[in-house]
Amino acid sequence: MVPTSYYVLLSAILFTIGVLGVLLRRNAIVVFMSVELMLNAANLALVAFARERLAVEAQVLVFFVITVAAAEVAVGLALLVSIFRTKRTADVDEVSTLKG
Amino acid sequence: MELLIWLIPLLPFIGFLLNVFVIRREREAGLVASGLVAAAFVVTLIAVAMLAGMPPEERRIVSTAWEWINTGSFRVPFAIMFDPLTAVMALLITGVGALIHVYSIGYMHGDPRVVRYFAYLNLFVTMMLFLVMANNLLLLFLGWEGVGLCSFLLIGFWFERKSASAAAVKAFVVNRIGDAAFILAMLAVFAYFGTLNFYGDGEGGQLGFLERVSDIAGLRIGPDWQPIFVSTAISFLLLIGATGKSAQFPLFVWLPDAMAGPTPVSALIHAATMVTGGVYLMARAEPLFVASFTTQGWVAWIGALTALLAGTAAMAQWDIKRVLAYSTVSQLGFMVAACGMGAYVAAIFHLLTHGIFKALLFLAAGSVIHGTHDTQDMRRMGGLKDAMPITFRTYVIGALALAGIVPFAGFWSKDEILAHAISHGQTPIFVILFLTSLLTAFYMGRQVALVFFGTQRDPSYHPHESPQVMTVPLVVLAVGATIGGAINLPVLHWLTDWLEPVLHEKAGEFNLWLALIATAGAVGMGYLGWWVYTTNAAKIKIGGKDPAYRYSGDIWEGMEEAWYFDRLYQRTVVAGFERLADFLARVFDPQGVDGLVMGVGRFFGGLANGVRALQTGYVRTYALVFTVGVLIVLGVMLWFAR
Repeated sequence: MVPTSYYVLLSAILFTIGVLGVLLRRNAIVVFMSVELMLNAANLALVAFARERLAVEAQVLVFFVITVAAAEVAVGLALLVSIFRTKRTADVDEVSTLKG
Repeated sequence: MELLIWLIPLLPFIGFLLNVFVIRREREAGLVASGLVAAAFVVTLIAVAMLAGMPPEERRIVSTAWEWINTGSFRVPFAIMFDPLTAVMALLITGVGALIHVYSIGYMHGDPRVVRYFAYLNLFVTMMLFLVMANNLLLLFLGWEGVGLCSFLLIGFWFERKSASAAAVKAFVVNRIGDAAFILAMLAVFAYFGTLNFYGDGEGGQLGFLERVSDIAGLRIGPDWQPIFVSTAISFLLLIGATGKSAQFPLFVWLPDAMAGPTPVSALIHAATMVTGGVYLMARAEPLFVASFTTQGWVAWIGALTALLAGTAAMAQWDIKRVLAYSTVSQLGFMVAACGMGAYVAAIFHLLTHGIFKALLFLAAGSVIHGTHDTQDMRRMGGLKDAMPITFRTYVIGALALAGIVPFAGFWSKDEILAHAISHGQTPIFVILFLTSLLTAFYMGRQVALVFFGTQRDPSYHPHESPQVMTVPLVVLAVGATIGGAINLPVLHWLTDWLEPVLHEKAGEFNLWLALIATAGAVGMGYLGWWVYTTNAAKIKIGGKDPAYRYSGDIWEGMEEAWYFDRLYQRTVVAGFERLADFLARVFDPQGVDGLVMGVGRFFGGLANGVRALQTGYVRTYALVFTVGVLIVLGVMLWFAR
């Protein structure tokens, strides 16, 4: 059986990739996908620990996260479409009018 | 009976409310105001009759309406009382007040703010009645401040005139000085007696402080090297309060300026009633004053000095009302001096007669001013006796009463004060007062000569007699000024007996020699004053100097300026405050207050300017900050979890 630490390591790598994606990429779609990547990295860690400790609640929690992520995608994509319609671009740095 | 005495102050108060909220027309205002004050007079008469029907020791009715202030040990009931002293004061206030209200209908006719005028006048009568009917110091103080307010409003009634509004402010501010001392006296009374009530309510409750003055006998306060008696401290503070309201030295300067108000107001407030409040207070607090030998000396000397000082000032005035104003200050000095010598009955007696004949003089002067189209300078008058016969006759009666000539009212009361001074060995006070009474006769002779005799020096107006609504009150008051002395004739001494339960005083001996000399002196000086100013009438020029100026030189000018007290205060106190106000307005306010306020604003503005740089609007920057923050928190947690 693959040791849990491998899963956790993979999860950490995925999460870091997600963070870097959010921070470095300017395309809103990619930023969005990076966020999803982070969510799923967290899911992976949850499932790995759940298996390790034989805790069913954590498995259930993952389903909740997936649901919330789906809802978030719906809202997020709607925002994206709306931004694209007004700005004619999906570059997040172009959307910076709300500043001091 | 209790209900009845509540009616006395409430009737004028109803008039005040009606005039403020309901009445809009001049005619109704005058009728309602006069009618209600006259009704109050009738009620007072009934109350006095009922009081007379009671045994002398029981002649005091105390009535509590409600508990006014109740905070633990400090309890003040809203209580009024009616006793012989209050009775005579209330009779004077409502009686003379009613006549002056009627007179005002004629005098104020055509003024655009007549309704307001009558509202103020009614409020004044209400407050004055509360002043004399209060059964505790705080309610008395309410009346005290109430009349002060009305005085302020009525002096400044023609506020379009700069001088009138300035005089109103001056009267108000000078009175505040006395009031501050009054408040201190009130606090001291409460501290030492635990109550502000004058008398107990007669139902077995706590006694008032005037009945328990012996509690503080021998009690001293102050530093060890100079302790003073508590009774001296309290009565001296009350004395300062009285000098403010009764225009005594050194706070007398506001009264002559107060003549900027309408003349009936001068008659009612600044001659007959309000300014006698201080004398009333001293008579009411007689047990406290008598307990302090020191204060009594101060009272007598302040009164005597004021009498002389104002008497000399009255001699040299040109304004018909200012003569009477200084004369009022002088006569108030007589009353205060009488209080200081322990002659409280004589003081109240003089207060009553003076209230009548000085009101008469002021109203007659108002009639002169009315009939000469607002002329007040006596240099522009002269020879008015034919054009204004009723005013002339009543004025002469008032002048004779003031000068103290038999058998007019002023003679009896003034004589009683002088006789008391002699019989109690107060020789210096007697000399000053006697001298002042001679001066009084002189300046009244002078005034009558200047106004009514000779020829009219300013032909630009046509003098006419005033309407009946004004002359009838004059005649009534003239009758009062003629026979008013009858209330306390030497052998009968009704007033002394009437006031005996309150003031505990026995009638003094009638001093025939003094009466003869004083009368002869008054007649002589009065004639002299009249003679000088009728024979020298040709030398009086409009805007010119007095004929006596040639002989007395600069002393006359000093008298004309009331010994420069106004200028002294102007250059010391007023100038100091003006400089302070100037500093506050031009330096402290823009630089201190504004600087502080604007500085706080600028500080936060600058801070916000610095902070706004952080808010770039770039989502990724926020995300970076967010991430770094999370990393720091995580790092800290891991570090401490080791």
